[in-house]
Amino acid sequence: MNVLQEQTIPLYGRIVEKYSKLSTTAASQQARQSAFHRFQLLGFPTIKNEDWKYTNITRFLKDEYALEAPSAGAPAELSELLAKAAIPDLDCYGIVLVNGVWDGKIEGGELPKGIELHRVSDALSQPGDLFTNDNWGNLHFAALNAALYTDGLFIRVAANIVIEKPLHIVHVYTSDYNLMVQPRHLWIVDRNAQLSVIESTVSGLSGEVKIWVNNLTEIIVHNDAKLDHVNLQTAATGTRLVQQTIVHQKKQSLYNSYTFTLPGADLVRNDLQARLEEDHTETHLYGLYLTAGDQLVDNHTLVDHQKPHCFSNELYKGVLLERSTGVFNGKVYVHKDAQKTNAFQQNNNLVIGKKATIDSKPELEIFADDVKCSHGSTVGQFSEDALFYLRARGIGEATAKALLINAFAFDVTEKIKFPAVETYINQQISHHIPVNHAG
Amino acid sequence: MANENEILDNIANKEYEFGFVTDIEMDILPAGLNEDTIRYISEKKKEPAWLLEWRLKGFQAFRKQKLPEWQNFTLPSIDFQKISYYAAPRSKKKYNSLDEVDPELLATFEKLGIPLSEQKALAGVAVDAVFDSISVATTYKEKLKELGIIFCSFGEAVQEHPEIVQKYVGSVVPHSDNIFAALNAAVFSDGSFVYIPKGVRCPMELSTYFRINTENTGQFERTLIIADEGSYVSYLEGCTAPMRDENQLHAAVVELIALGNAEIKYSTVQNWYPGDKDGKGGIYNFVTKRGICKGANAKISWTQVETGSAITWKYPSVILQGDNSTGEFYSVAVTRNKQIADTGTKMHHIGRNTRSRIISKGISAGQGQNSYRGLVQIGAKADEARNFTQCDSLLIGDQCGAHTFPYIESKNNTATVEHEATTSKIGEDQIFYLNQRGIDSEKAIALIINGYAREVLNQLPMEFAVEAQKLLSITLEGSVG
Amino acid sequence: MLIIKNLHAEVEDKKILKGIDLTVNAGEIHAIMGPNGSGKSSLASVLAGRESYQVTEGEVLFEGKNLLEMEPETRAREGLFLAFQYPIEIPGVSNINFLKTAIGEIRTYKGLPPMDAKEFLRLTREKQKLVEFDAQLVNRSLNEGFSGGEKKRNEIFQLAMLQPSLSILDETDSGLDIDALRIVAQGVNKLRSDKNAFIIITHYQRLLEYIIPDFVHVLYNGRIVKSGTKELALELEEKGYDWLKEESREQEATTI
Repeated sequence: MNVLQEQTIPLYGRIVEKYSKLSTTAASQQARQSAFHRFQLLGFPTIKNEDWKYTNITRFLKDEYALEAPSAGAPAELSELLAKAAIPDLDCYGIVLVNGVWDGKIEGGELPKGIELHRVSDALSQPGDLFTNDNWGNLHFAALNAALYTDGLFIRVAANIVIEKPLHIVHVYTSDYNLMVQPRHLWIVDRNAQLSVIESTVSGLSGEVKIWVNNLTEIIVHNDAKLDHVNLQTAATGTRLVQQTIVHQKKQSLYNSYTFTLPGADLVRNDLQARLEEDHTETHLYGLYLTAGDQLVDNHTLVDHQKPHCFSNELYKGVLLERSTGVFNGKVYVHKDAQKTNAFQQNNNLVIGKKATIDSKPELEIFADDVKCSHGSTVGQFSEDALFYLRARGIGEATAKALLINAFAFDVTEKIKFPAVETYINQQISHHIPVNHAG
Repeated sequence: MANENEILDNIANKEYEFGFVTDIEMDILPAGLNEDTIRYISEKKKEPAWLLEWRLKGFQAFRKQKLPEWQNFTLPSIDFQKISYYAAPRSKKKYNSLDEVDPELLATFEKLGIPLSEQKALAGVAVDAVFDSISVATTYKEKLKELGIIFCSFGEAVQEHPEIVQKYVGSVVPHSDNIFAALNAAVFSDGSFVYIPKGVRCPMELSTYFRINTENTGQFERTLIIADEGSYVSYLEGCTAPMRDENQLHAAVVELIALGNAEIKYSTVQNWYPGDKDGKGGIYNFVTKRGICKGANAKISWTQVETGSAITWKYPSVILQGDNSTGEFYSVAVTRNKQIADTGTKMHHIGRNTRSRIISKGISAGQGQNSYRGLVQIGAKADEARNFTQCDSLLIGDQCGAHTFPYIESKNNTATVEHEATTSKIGEDQIFYLNQRGIDSEKAIALIINGYAREVLNQLPMEFAVEAQKLLSITLEGSVG
Repeated sequence: MLIIKNLHAEVEDKKILKGIDLTVNAGEIHAIMGPNGSGKSSLASVLAGRESYQVTEGEVLFEGKNLLEMEPETRAREGLFLAFQYPIEIPGVSNINFLKTAIGEIRTYKGLPPMDAKEFLRLTREKQKLVEFDAQLVNRSLNEGFSGGEKKRNEIFQLAMLQPSLSILDETDSGLDIDALRIVAQGVNKLRSDKNAFIIITHYQRLLEYIIPDFVHVLYNGRIVKSGTKELALELEEKGYDWLKEESREQEATTI
């Protein structure tokens, strides 16, 4: 299987070796095995795979990566990275995962009753399989993760429990040598419970060191439950971030996702799948990607309408600076049984950089008739009229452009329900839109 | 409002109007495909060596290619050896005038609503009639000749204007473009050829009417239209086939070349036999249509009304090479029973200040599946390029499907691309409103559909617009959701 | 304050202005009237520096400086204000943020220290009252979802905030009901002084009942064909523009 990849991609051999040496519990043995076979079958994606048509990862696979993380112990630059991820004035519970491993500490006071947090490695030692089975379809990296994960974060909110303060999870990735880490998380929000999670991804790498993060997060939002999920991706150059999030939504549940990707990481690939497995669910997916340098940022989303009377709304916006490339692929799939579906999707792109590229593919696949679905995609620049209006009021061209970029992003940032987070993200954006970018 | 099931039954029972067979003596090549087949066709048509060579190159390419494997589109396996690649009405010599054409053939076209005698012909429309593999008659040829316009069968053009054909054939759709284009390059039998000289505005609509008649044949015609600098032409094609239980293959290629300041308007009303209500029989319509705006300010506009065929697979495209050139695609595609339509367009923006506009309206009824697949590509040098795309899908009945796969690729920071798509059920409140004004549901749907498709139908020349409107109403008769 | 000499301009190779001469001094209000398509709004656009207009001949001096050489924002910073005929909607940019930015940039240009938040707030409140502009509108996105009247009042509100020396009102009265018109006119009357000037472009005489002009000019076919005092506006109201068209055609015929 994949003899060619085995011969040409150094990482491939290491993966096979690691899998053969993996010590594992009997309960998870079978799931790992089938995931590993799935990965062997799929191999690493190439541009011949429709889902990777615009995202060529060959250049990132040329580097060698070790699969063993450095032994625990707080790295020297940790406090600096934590400062970068800190959201001023946010009243929250805070935890930190270093290379996918949680040290067990919680900031911001004791957790209220009804929410439990565990290391996945601890939960694994319990009898029974923690994770539900999935065949991983065409998710190459999710299959790889499911075969090789060793740790991550398990969260469960018990039925009818409302956790008022958000949980801020800071993922720190750091290494002195090229490394691939594969954290796997499972979050369960039980019936009628409510939780808000804010994730920050930061990395600190010295010199030419590269880190590949292959993250897999599974989320189950049970009947009448609600989850707000903010993702702040601010990892540094040298980082290759593949983040798969699979959300299972049950009856009348609500899931809100806000994904922000900022300049830094060489590669960001987000696969966000909302699987609407029962009726009357509501889903909002918001995204903003601000890309610069030679960045390649790819957002793939799937809203899988399996049952009737579900509502989904998606808005992703992109601002592409310098020589960066943005990819958006949003699929809305409406199954035959999913009558009375309302599904909306919008992708807008502002191409600023002379050498910037955008590839956008919004898709609708609809097999039910009593539906209202729409999508839209635009690629453009500043409105000349808007620019002129601002200039006619004495605002310089560069400032006017910066104002308009912020206004463009505003549609997404204003959706965040925590003012401190909104302020934080707006500051991040302003920080990356200095006047000279816009000129 | 009538009972839904009753009405849905009605559509299924609606007969295809043009399903008759003409009984006429034919020269038919036995089924099978190899180099000899190609040599036979080429020899039969007395072709020059360069064309045979080109055909053979096409065959090589065909053997290397695979059937496309796309998202939500599975092609049935096709046994290319079971098809006959040449079928022509038997005749001693070439027809010099209509009087020599077999009266049975003339009657066939008359029955299809395409009278070929010039007295009866539609005023202002010149027709090239293609029966199975070859062109049987071309009207108004002489009149057009006076203006320097060449309008004839492809075979005739190869004999009489080989230099133009050699220059342009395969220049827009290469022999290796895709499996069906390669097959066409290898075995194409006839088709239409048009050349409009510099600065000439073609005074009448040019039109080709395609008819598949013989069993187990495929139709592989090739159309080549060249509009020289500053010229204009409007071209129409229509097509029908008898009802047969076997699927028949239609793999055509159309190449359009618009030089500087030239304009080509290409309209299609496609009504090949769609198969019966169980999806038995029907034409596989796999067509490669592409135009190039070679010079500045050139314009190519595709309009299509697709109601027939079991499976349609076609993406009329425009390469916008000349600065300020314009590409347009207007489409209405209707599927019902088990029909599948997978259609759309590709707009390749290469030149500066190029414009494209895509309006696609899909209507799915019964168990029909309708997909829009499109590409808008803005190259690094296409400064100020603009595209607008609107694709809407209308669903009638809960067994059908509508899918939209637009690809947008932009490498230029001065380009503007706008894509909008909607999918919805036919408006119940609209039907009710019309009901309340005394219009029955059948007519209400026809009205709504025609309103829905108006933007596209308006692009058709008058003579065809009325016909297309009628065709839409008939095709969807009884489709109340 | 403003001297326009023999100004010619075109848009997309079409000649729009064919030799305008006009001098506006501080303290004056000039009304420019004329039938549709005579070039009134084009003149406003040229003065504000809209890029689609090319000046082919003539010069414009604003406070002694060459206006035509300036970028649009420089003109604004120098004190030229255009109240747009069709104010644009900019979703996501709040009115207040927009004004703060504009005032900040103008003050920087003039070498003034930034306005402190308190003073800005006071000024906003004061000017809001002047044009009876709803506090809520101030916090909304720029013109987004505003009614026609609200947009026009927002233009005058901005005028009040930015305190320009020369204001050009481009058909500010069109589409306004009588109450809105009164509010707009009152705003202008309160803002006028011997230090500033106004050019009021209008199709109708109605606005001039509320804002009394010192001079009235009639623009036709890209030229000022007649100038006078406020009586001219009344005359136009009574007789329409047709007689003027006749007169100018005759004039043209004789000059050829």
